[in-house]
Amino acid sequence: MLFTRECKKIFRSLTFIIYCAMVILMFFTQFWPELDERVTSSTIESYELTKISGEPETIMPKALDSLTGCYFSNTYRCYPYGLLKAVHLNSRDNDKIKGYIIEISGLNDDEMEKLKAASSFSHVRIGTNELESYNVNHVPLREDITYGRFREIMGEIDDILGGGSDYRPDDLAYKFSQEPMSHAEIIEQYDDFIEKDHIAAAYGRLLSDYLGIVLAVIPVFAAAALVTADKRAKMDELVYSRRISSFRLIFTRFSALVLTMALPVLLCASITAAKIMHMYKGDAPDIAGAFTVPGIWLLPNIMLVTALGMCISELFSAGMAILVQFAAWFICMMMTSSPLYGHIGRYTFVCRHNSLFYRSEFMEHYSDFLFNRIFYTAAALAAVLLTVIVYELKRGGRFNGLVLFGKDSIFRRKA
Amino acid sequence: MDWCYSARIVYSDVRHNFLLHYLLAAAVVFITPLFFSVSGLDSRQAAQPLEMIISLTGTVLLTPVFMPEQNGSIRDVIRSKKTPYLLTCIVRLCIDMLILAALAGISVLYMKKCRSEVTFLHFAGTAASAMALGSLGFFAAGLSNNVIIGYMASLLWYIINFTAKDKLGVFFIFSMMNGSFDEKKWLLALSFALILLTFVYLSYVKYKI
Repeated sequence: MLFTRECKKIFRSLTFIIYCAMVILMFFTQFWPELDERVTSSTIESYELTKISGEPETIMPKALDSLTGCYFSNTYRCYPYGLLKAVHLNSRDNDKIKGYIIEISGLNDDEMEKLKAASSFSHVRIGTNELESYNVNHVPLREDITYGRFREIMGEIDDILGGGSDYRPDDLAYKFSQEPMSHAEIIEQYDDFIEKDHIAAAYGRLLSDYLGIVLAVIPVFAAAALVTADKRAKMDELVYSRRISSFRLIFTRFSALVLTMALPVLLCASITAAKIMHMYKGDAPDIAGAFTVPGIWLLPNIMLVTALGMCISELFSAGMAILVQFAAWFICMMMTSSPLYGHIGRYTFVCRHNSLFYRSEFMEHYSDFLFNRIFYTAAALAAVLLTVIVYELKRGGRFNGLVLFGKDSIFRRKA
Repeated sequence: MDWCYSARIVYSDVRHNFLLHYLLAAAVVFITPLFFSVSGLDSRQAAQPLEMIISLTGTVLLTPVFMPEQNGSIRDVIRSKKTPYLLTCIVRLCIDMLILAALAGISVLYMKKCRSEVTFLHFAGTAASAMALGSLGFFAAGLSNNVIIGYMASLLWYIINFTAKDKLGVFFIFSMMNGSFDEKKWLLALSFALILLTFVYLSYVKYKI
């Protein structure tokens, strides 16, 4: 049977062995330490859970202090593509920022100068970076400023800074109103973990979060290797002449790739389930969660990356497939915004929920999450259909891959 | 005499096989300032684009050295020629390393011009990280005779540096971002060891010279 033969071919390929090694490595280095300690109502305190209050009374003064400090040093922290970009504005744009600060605070020019003279200058450490900053505290807030107008101003400031700044209206609550959870709130998180997630679903989410990072790129290597295997073995023309339909051949290969690449994930989920059963004997964990959550979460990742890998390899070359997929992965990773939970949008490809807790934040976006997974599954199937069409055209001799700038260009297909 | 033949061969396959890779590596360098801040950065901030982006030129340049002969028929023809095949590969590798150093140098000089605090150590560190990524790809591609495996090994190491940074010790390629340059000499040593091992394997095991 063709499917079995394709699976055997994949099992014997070095790309698949390296793929398995990478998934297992990710599992044991990143996720496994999370299973070191049993979560109980007392140990949960050590997770230092925080909450986002989102109260304008907390957000506005903190954001204004931060903005004034950045204005004084003319250094604004932005993360337009995930990496830190220290923005220094020209005098016209910096004056606009000053105008906004004056509007929010009601200070005049002289008072601003006095405030600057009274502020201490320091280097602020952000991750691995250090930025120059003025430490400004207690900038007065005009009493008649509404939160709506404040958000509007912050949006305009974010636009001036080129986006991705600390003052993006949607991020204000996270950046400026984070505070530690109270004991009662922590216990509520624990109750959600035990009663609603039934333990295993929480671990399933965290497992998916870690494995999702690598599964958004590494399946492309196995897919590209399988697609180009015929050509390497000089079997492509022999396969072209067979009676089997292109649809059946491509879908069989796609299914074989997806199934084989899902196996290491299944193994990781099984190990997790076994460990949970051992760790939480008395709490009757619902083990199904350790399988269903990674299944829904990670299968679309494997499917889309595999389908795109096959499609681009057929259209251009394996190298192009790797380049495109790696670039897409890099952009996805860089665009991932903090906090690493409760931020799953309708088109987020690399979904993150880097915690065993915050179930309510995850459930808030659950419909988006489901839409997202269905959308990428459909996109994967569409990419496979496109691969079928390309393969069919190649078989008929009507197409031999896209060659940019003519057949003698440097973009021509290599052997 | 062999070197003369090799130079002609390399001139030919640079034109026909590697120009795209050189252009891609150059594109990585020239696109970086469009997306990431490179001006007015201190030593650690300056290391971020250099280590995270510019180091990828190593993967692009060094991994495909054996690619033209991945096709067995071409390899057989090449190996029947008087000029040793591996000598051609060594010349290719030397050219790639020169381009890699030039691109790292251009990046560092540009950042210096943009008033970032970069020194010769940043240049050496960037080149070492790029060499490490590239040489792993070169090693894997050479041993497996499959450039896809080479890219896979190289990019997986890059990804591991994102996720398991504290577990890599002296083989952490983003160390300059933490203000440490010590790891770079180990990376450079590892690079040359991998390149040497590849040639030893190809010479004495695969092709049995």
